[in-house]
Amino acid sequence: MTDSKQIEKALFDAALELADPATRMAFLDQTCNGNPGLRDRLERLLTVHASAEEFFSGSPMPTAGDHGGSDTSAAVAVPPGQTTASPLETTNMVIGRYRLLQRLGEGGCGVVYEAEQEQPIRRRVALKIIRLGMDTENIIARFGAERQALALMDHPNIAHVLDAGATESGRPYFVMELVQGVKITEYCNQNHLDTRQRLDLFILTCHAIQHAHQKGIIHRDIKPSNILVAAHDGVPVPKVIDFGIAKATEGTLADNTLYTACDQFIGTPAYMSPEQANLGSLDVDTRSDIYSLGVLLYELLTGRTPFDSKKLIESGMDEMRRTLLESEPQLPSTLLTTLGNTELTRIAAQHHAEPPRLISSMIGDLDWIVMKALEKDRRRRYETANGLAMDVQRYLSNEPVAARPPSSLYRFQKLVRRNKITFAAITAVTLALLIGLGVSTWLFLEERDARRRAVAAELQQIRLREESDRLRQQAEFRQKLTAATFARSREKIEEADRLVAGIPAPEPNLEYADLYRTLGDWHAANGRWKEAADRFAVLVQVSQPDDWDLTTLDYLRYGPALLESGDLGGYERFRQSAIAHFARTTNPLPAERMVKLALLMPADTHLLAVLQPLAKTAAESLATHQNHDSVAWELSLAAWRAFSMALMEYRSGNYPGAEDWCQKSLAFQKENEIRVASVRVVLAMTHYQMGRIESARSELAQARQTIENRFGKGLQTGDGFQGFWFDWVFGRILLREAISLVGNSSH
Amino acid sequence: MSEITLLLDAIARGESRASEDLLPLIYDELRRLAAMRMAGESAGQTLQPTALVHEAWLRLVTEKGRTWRNRAHFFRAAAQAMRRILVDRARQKLSLKRGGGLEKVVIDYLDIPAATVDDRVLLVDQSLERLEQEDPESARVITLKFFGGLTNREVAKILGITERSVERQWAYAKTCLFEMIQSEM
Repeated sequence: MTDSKQIEKALFDAALELADPATRMAFLDQTCNGNPGLRDRLERLLTVHASAEEFFSGSPMPTAGDHGGSDTSAAVAVPPGQTTASPLETTNMVIGRYRLLQRLGEGGCGVVYEAEQEQPIRRRVALKIIRLGMDTENIIARFGAERQALALMDHPNIAHVLDAGATESGRPYFVMELVQGVKITEYCNQNHLDTRQRLDLFILTCHAIQHAHQKGIIHRDIKPSNILVAAHDGVPVPKVIDFGIAKATEGTLADNTLYTACDQFIGTPAYMSPEQANLGSLDVDTRSDIYSLGVLLYELLTGRTPFDSKKLIESGMDEMRRTLLESEPQLPSTLLTTLGNTELTRIAAQHHAEPPRLISSMIGDLDWIVMKALEKDRRRRYETANGLAMDVQRYLSNEPVAARPPSSLYRFQKLVRRNKITFAAITAVTLALLIGLGVSTWLFLEERDARRRAVAAELQQIRLREESDRLRQQAEFRQKLTAATFARSREKIEEADRLVAGIPAPEPNLEYADLYRTLGDWHAANGRWKEAADRFAVLVQVSQPDDWDLTTLDYLRYGPALLESGDLGGYERFRQSAIAHFARTTNPLPAERMVKLALLMPADTHLLAVLQPLAKTAAESLATHQNHDSVAWELSLAAWRAFSMALMEYRSGNYPGAEDWCQKSLAFQKENEIRVASVRVVLAMTHYQMGRIESARSELAQARQTIENRFGKGLQTGDGFQGFWFDWVFGRILLREAISLVGNSSH
Repeated sequence: MSEITLLLDAIARGESRASEDLLPLIYDELRRLAAMRMAGESAGQTLQPTALVHEAWLRLVTEKGRTWRNRAHFFRAAAQAMRRILVDRARQKLSLKRGGGLEKVVIDYLDIPAATVDDRVLLVDQSLERLEQEDPESARVITLKFFGGLTNREVAKILGITERSVERQWAYAKTCLFEMIQSEM
């Protein structure tokens, strides 16, 4: 074919993409400069294009794809005499059951019209026609697949998607509830909403997204223009639009030209989650929406997105992906301080605040909430939109938030993780080479039989199948966990517990830890020790590894639960691994807790030897802790530490040492009943071993009264000052040991 | 579809097959194409999908010893066969209606909504010959899409190009051909 023909085709195609007639003419003027023949020809073609479409579509051209779905050939009618020369859908035109009334707006991806539906009910709707160039069949088939789920959504802050179909010219269209309103960022700025009002709107948006997630729908394209706000009786109400459309349309782009033409995919990369930007990753889940909500929050607070959209686009695809996957955005408060004075004053005015107030309101909690939602690693983000909303709510009510600044350990891990990719790649290549060499040698020497290779292929098939089953199951587990987390947040503990039953431990995550802790505590409080131990078994795996305080407390839950459920073997294994985990700690607190945990039951000399360094760490710290100026909390911890030392000496057979530590612990204030009772139990056993039977019985009687009294009232969760529930269970386990040793007599 | 693919792959590997070997395997495929091709035709259409398949098949296999180089080759031939059948039928019907011996459709003014399927088939067929000379790429797309009734995805597979390219070519080809039809009036 001649070059001129190719040029003609390319220009025709490009001109078709330009919706506006004036722009199109300008385009022709420019590109056909000096070639009037070509220009005339193109103009003629463009003029007859619509008629040509009609001519061919009226003919027996099936629009249904392989699916043969009836949806795809949705009734498309053109009013008689409609022979418009413009390829644009014009108002008063009829598409399917809808009559176009007026054009509401245009994005790179399509045009939105206000339209009127007459059948089966008369109503106004919004009709979005997707730009040519997308694969209509696929889009409509995908939409069909999700239609049922979409129908289940019923939320005041979500606009319903009602219908989908194909126009005469083969463009897919979507019909939505008509929402009057302006995009959320614009609404906030125009009305000078202050930070609190903005956060209120944001919380409503989170709840809408949460509702969709509950129904299994991921939005995938959360951005300000998809959240419209209108005031109802003076109260701003956000509505999330375009649910289900991103999923139907994404991935159907045929080639790169379109990629750049369509703003849904390139115009808003600022709102794209790292996993969406990473084209290879197919498993986008609800946490991708959490990321986009984080970007929205960032923009509501600072007026900017974490990464500048324009710069992202200009940097090219590869650089854009790298930025989204690796660059850490500035903290919202930091960003504000780096702005110029005029810019900052302008933004502050939009927030109805003074610049210094605006910045200081963001430093700390709000910064960390935003950054937690924007984590590159989705496992570190909020687990649910509700979790994010709850944290914002906590901020508003001045309660402590779940988000925290990253610890230095975490930052270090991130650094390692980043470089690990290079390392892992090298390892993988080397391994592949070695294995490949080994396998091929082996095949050559041992097995040239094709049959064997067929068997290997079959095995490979089975492995692949198993792998896909596994992935499917994982997805199912994830879904259940999300539902459980949500149920837990609404205090529906029983429902949450039902959901997690039988699910293997997920990856460590703050919210999962909170979920399993709550469930285990709930079972424990009701005396269901087997179930409690099961939940805590997961808890110790998902508990945050870089937060020793929470982790060791979680360990202290699991140990007693195992013993109460009668699983002595389980306890034995757990105490070994717990000690191993903290063997090198120089922090007296975890050291002391591990000693206590490990010595809940008698121990052999080997175990005692392993515990020795930990006990030493704890003991040494006590020497510096004798000053009575310390705050109550520290004293309470010190008193516990003395108890653990007593237990250590008692288990080691050093009875005078044990007695000494018991007395030291008793010398502290006796505000914590269970600590005092536990010390008395150890003291009773120590007296007994030293032949002082009467003293033993006397201490035991006191301890017994305290402990039995408490359990008679039912176990409560408790706290660090009055003793957690597991402190009490701990005391009871030791009490049983003491009773069988000293004798049942309490006289 | 898989069996036919395998068979056509075998053909591609150089194992030429005669049309007869293909029939049992290709029948369903053709049947499906024909059903789709006919789906949009008005009620009262005399030609049934099955009949179209049989006719297309007869045309394909009457050329003795013909072999297929590959899948694309086969489908292009099938689309051409369908074109000839549809054109013949349309001529037949029109000549019955309008009184005999009509070689060429002559319409003074093209009223698109009023044009019958047969009118369209003949108009496209007439101008397609000219388009084949001027722009074989566009003519090929018209044959596959309009006469063969293939979807964009199938055309993309057959021609080894992207769906988007098919769409682009189809939009241009339609416009070009229509412009020819109009200019010939």
